[in-house]
Amino acid sequence: MKRTISLATAALMGSTALAHAEGVVNLYNWGNYTSPELLDRFEAETGITVNVTDFDSNDTALARVRQGGHGFDIVVPSDTYIPTWISEGLVQPLDPEIVTDRGNIEERFVDVPFDPGREYSVPWAWGSTGITVNTATYTGDINDLGIIFDPPEELSGRINLVPEMDSVLALAIYYVGGESCTDDRDILRQVRDMLMEAKPHWLALDYGTVDNYVAGDFHAGIGWNGATMRARLQNPDIAFGYPQTGFTLWMDNALVLADAPNRDNAMKFINFILQPENAALISNFARYSNGIIGSEPYLEEVMREAPEIVIPEELAGAGRWGVTCPQEIVDIHSQIWTELMQ
Amino acid sequence: MSSAAPEKSFSVRRLPGFGAVAVFTFVMLYLPIVILVFFSFNAGPSQAVWEGFSLQWYEAAFQNRQVRDVSLRSLGLALTAASIATVLATLAALGTTRVGRFPGQTMIYALINQPLMVPEIVTGIALLIFVAAIKVQTGYDGMGYLVAAHTAFCIPFAYLSIRARLETLDPALESAAADLYASPAQAFRYITLPLLVPGILAGFMLSFVISLDTVVITEFVKSAGQDTLPTYMLGQLRRGVTPEMNAIATLFLALSVMIVTAFFLITRTRGR
Repeated sequence: MKRTISLATAALMGSTALAHAEGVVNLYNWGNYTSPELLDRFEAETGITVNVTDFDSNDTALARVRQGGHGFDIVVPSDTYIPTWISEGLVQPLDPEIVTDRGNIEERFVDVPFDPGREYSVPWAWGSTGITVNTATYTGDINDLGIIFDPPEELSGRINLVPEMDSVLALAIYYVGGESCTDDRDILRQVRDMLMEAKPHWLALDYGTVDNYVAGDFHAGIGWNGATMRARLQNPDIAFGYPQTGFTLWMDNALVLADAPNRDNAMKFINFILQPENAALISNFARYSNGIIGSEPYLEEVMREAPEIVIPEELAGAGRWGVTCPQEIVDIHSQIWTELMQ
Repeated sequence: MSSAAPEKSFSVRRLPGFGAVAVFTFVMLYLPIVILVFFSFNAGPSQAVWEGFSLQWYEAAFQNRQVRDVSLRSLGLALTAASIATVLATLAALGTTRVGRFPGQTMIYALINQPLMVPEIVTGIALLIFVAAIKVQTGYDGMGYLVAAHTAFCIPFAYLSIRARLETLDPALESAAADLYASPAQAFRYITLPLLVPGILAGFMLSFVISLDTVVITEFVKSAGQDTLPTYMLGQLRRGVTPEMNAIATLFLALSVMIVTAFFLITRTRGR
């Protein structure tokens, strides 16, 4: 192992000598999401300098690129936005000559609904929305959404939900036995009634809850796996449950823009992040999984076996991708949500 | 001011609850900032649970290459934009006060101050469309766009303070200089300009701080690799804020306070 690393380093050192002046690649990504080590390694290996520019929301990124003249090569939007990027012709198919290692993508992430067969995109990082529980307070099954929607005595008044309409309603619909974007009025009515009945047991609908779980203000709630892991590292009683009735998956993916000024360099970067040791750098920095086969050995200890990162095998099938629903369904969701927020 | 007023006259200070309202206002204004600064020294990774004093987040911020890059870029941009804006605003202020009334004067005030009235998001989107078109045509994507956008945005701030200073200057001083055979250039160089310096400095510093603060416009105009400190900080939000952000914000705050203090000291001595 040691020797491989030093050999690799030597090879890198050697290649930098003839590198340089190989140009640049402009990466447009979420803030605080790109490992500096990843960029250094790419530069050392290829001589290509990476410029990172931040965006703060999927909508900002989309608006900037739609307008043209942005100068970016690679963008990293979320799964639900990718069909828009593709259908509007803002991105180009990956070049099979340069991006040769798409086989490194985990099987379950290849035929994803937002880019079947991975013609345009490769995984950057992914996570799930599930249940955050303080197991010192609640000792039952943590993979059961009843914790939130029909809370036991000990959790009543100590529950928080992230105020994300799509995530919360999706979990609620799965819980009562419906499918994403269902137009079944009975199911939707059931969801509404259930949420309204559960609401008096909730304390808050808030973001940024890592501190609250650590401090013991919240004892259960709907939350994200990465945030839950950060809370657990500070308070070992915190655990992450994967609702067996269905939980949502999200993934940010790297794509090459249609008008990328440094197209070939961008393709090289895409292939670079398909390598397990490089994907692991993304994960170690962003604290989310990467979807690349064989990256585990390169992950930091805290991540390698983290229950928030590794989905238990028997529950993996319950994970579902977020879906952008038709407008009339979104309207119904909004009505339920508005009533709930009042 | 109030000492000249008769005893029984109306004074806000004697209204019931004045003290309470004042204290409440100051607490609401400054408490969040005090808390932010406080947790920048936290030994733990939390914004709510105090785990002891530490400078680790400052260390982390200084070692973060991206933070260094965006900070230097922000300072360079603010310096450039504020300098250009101040020169232009000085010319504009002279042009609108050292002349008789002319038709369309009010219109010109309104035009100069337009960035103050137009919501920043509107300016941002307008610039996005405009700048993108130029970028496509010319292929140039350097810092020029940000400098131009920030300069335009800063001009009214510089203009207002310079004009305010100009209006308190007695035009008779310039007439006196002319009577003593000073050419217009000499009168400007030896009379008007020295008297105007406090206004110019005030305008410059205000512009500098405004440019440093601007988020929305920068977010829409920036090209690849042109993040500034505020857009960088904005980008952090999705991933949850660590005390490293507090440390950066505290340093940012300290810089602003230093500039304002320097400005105060300069104008106090020069303004006498």
